[in-house]
Amino acid sequence: MPREAEISVNERTFIQQALQENIRLDGRAFDAFRPLKLNFGDEYGVADVELGKTRVIARISVEVTTPLPERKFDGIFQIVTEFSPMASPAFEVGRPTDAEVILSRILEKAIRRSNALDTESLCIIAGLKCFALRADVHIIDHDGGLIDASCIAVMAALQHFRRPDVVVEGEKAIVLSEREREPIPLSILHQPLCVTFSYYEEGEIFLVDATLAEEQVRQAEIIVTMNRHGEVCQIAKYGGATVDPLALLNCTNIALQKVQDMSRFIQHKLDEDAKKRDVGGLMAELSAENAR
Amino acid sequence: MAPEALLSHLNRADGSATYTQNGYSIIGAVNGPLEVQRRDELPSEATVEVNVRPAIGVGSPKERHLETLLASTLRTIILTRHIPRTLVQITLQVRSLPSEHAICGVDASLSLLPHLIHTALLALLSSSMPLRTTVTAALVVLPAGRDAAPMLQPTARDVMLAKPIQSAHVFAFSGNGKVLLNESDGSFTYEEWEEACEMAEEVCCKEGGVGLSDAMQVDGGSENLERWLREVVRRKVEKEMRWKSGT
Repeated sequence: MPREAEISVNERTFIQQALQENIRLDGRAFDAFRPLKLNFGDEYGVADVELGKTRVIARISVEVTTPLPERKFDGIFQIVTEFSPMASPAFEVGRPTDAEVILSRILEKAIRRSNALDTESLCIIAGLKCFALRADVHIIDHDGGLIDASCIAVMAALQHFRRPDVVVEGEKAIVLSEREREPIPLSILHQPLCVTFSYYEEGEIFLVDATLAEEQVRQAEIIVTMNRHGEVCQIAKYGGATVDPLALLNCTNIALQKVQDMSRFIQHKLDEDAKKRDVGGLMAELSAENAR
Repeated sequence: MAPEALLSHLNRADGSATYTQNGYSIIGAVNGPLEVQRRDELPSEATVEVNVRPAIGVGSPKERHLETLLASTLRTIILTRHIPRTLVQITLQVRSLPSEHAICGVDASLSLLPHLIHTALLALLSSSMPLRTTVTAALVVLPAGRDAAPMLQPTARDVMLAKPIQSAHVFAFSGNGKVLLNESDGSFTYEEWEEACEMAEEVCCKEGGVGLSDAMQVDGGSENLERWLREVVRRKVEKEMRWKSGT
């Protein structure tokens, strides 16, 4: 497997010099995202996210298993990211690169450990049966910004997903198929999203949503995860040059604005999709969801 | 239903294709010729590596089995001797399967195989890899029961309704009508196998028996895969030659 081609010296100095003159390669502002596209499949729980030339598909699936013995009242939620040579020939199957490890760790912290999904609602019978939810992240095309795109994809897919309804009679649980009862949405407590900042020139220049070329030139990255209410879930910085703490505060401010924009965009797309599925306005009657 | 094909839509891979038919949707990407690892290097020909990735979960022995079948089939159509000591890397990502796929009664890898072959070929075409010939594949399902008619390229739903299934066959034919791959499952006699083979040849290759193809037209149930492939390639070339035809 060939290594990822390193960026040439000429290209590197070109990008750096352009950044000093406040110009990005694609003409965006420093704090601008690339155009974001979000499509949902015919099935529930498939989100196809395109961020510029980066493309990520997240897919949620569910099955019934026994809960972990130390967590009897919780369902299981797992996020699986595996890179394939489709995104770049440098990615080998079965041998995770650093980028892959960091991506899965960030997603784990951002979505699973920030309790975005209420796992208790996935429990069917305490200690015996629960739903095991699985989010598969497929990287289809890679042009930087994988963390941001994957986080959007997983969150959108989770909000789009519907799990089958269950009827519990004592020790017996019956999972009802889609035809018997309308599947119900997951209970999502908040919507964390990631914004990656790449910085250059010892923390003088901060870029939002860097492309692959810009990522290869950067000194380091800071990943800020927050929800649209402004609650910071994590700030991750894996090595690299030191950065001024005040600049970090500025980053969280920019991130908040970006996260609010993206949340609104996801919600808009979800509403659009719901309207498309709601033929004849029957959805409200079919729904088995209880008002909270 | 003719399959839908979308070529060269990924930016990073050398060649790519998305193939959609009857609820099956697969994204394929080809990288190559690439630098090959020492242990895989062949002195006189290119190494063909196939990765099949399921929609849900990571690969299992089922995917490994499909990968070996695909690699040996594709090695025969790629001109591997023209690009020795290189690697041709083919990645096939299953995007969605029909909801009846797992419960339709036919071995899940068998019903997926023709779609994977088509996706791989489209991706290879898109990457302009030197090929010896093309390949088309079809699934033939023989339901149990004496009077049940064999089903050619059935949808997963049709197969589920026709249960129980006696045997299922996948045939792949090269552009000049030679059998490249045959996978069969279930119990069947030689006559049944031959009939299935003829049916698959009918839909895969351009001209089978003249009389038979007329009968198929009347049925309206099947189209010719070779013709479909030609149409796809024609559109690809048209798109690539835009610069010339526009002037």
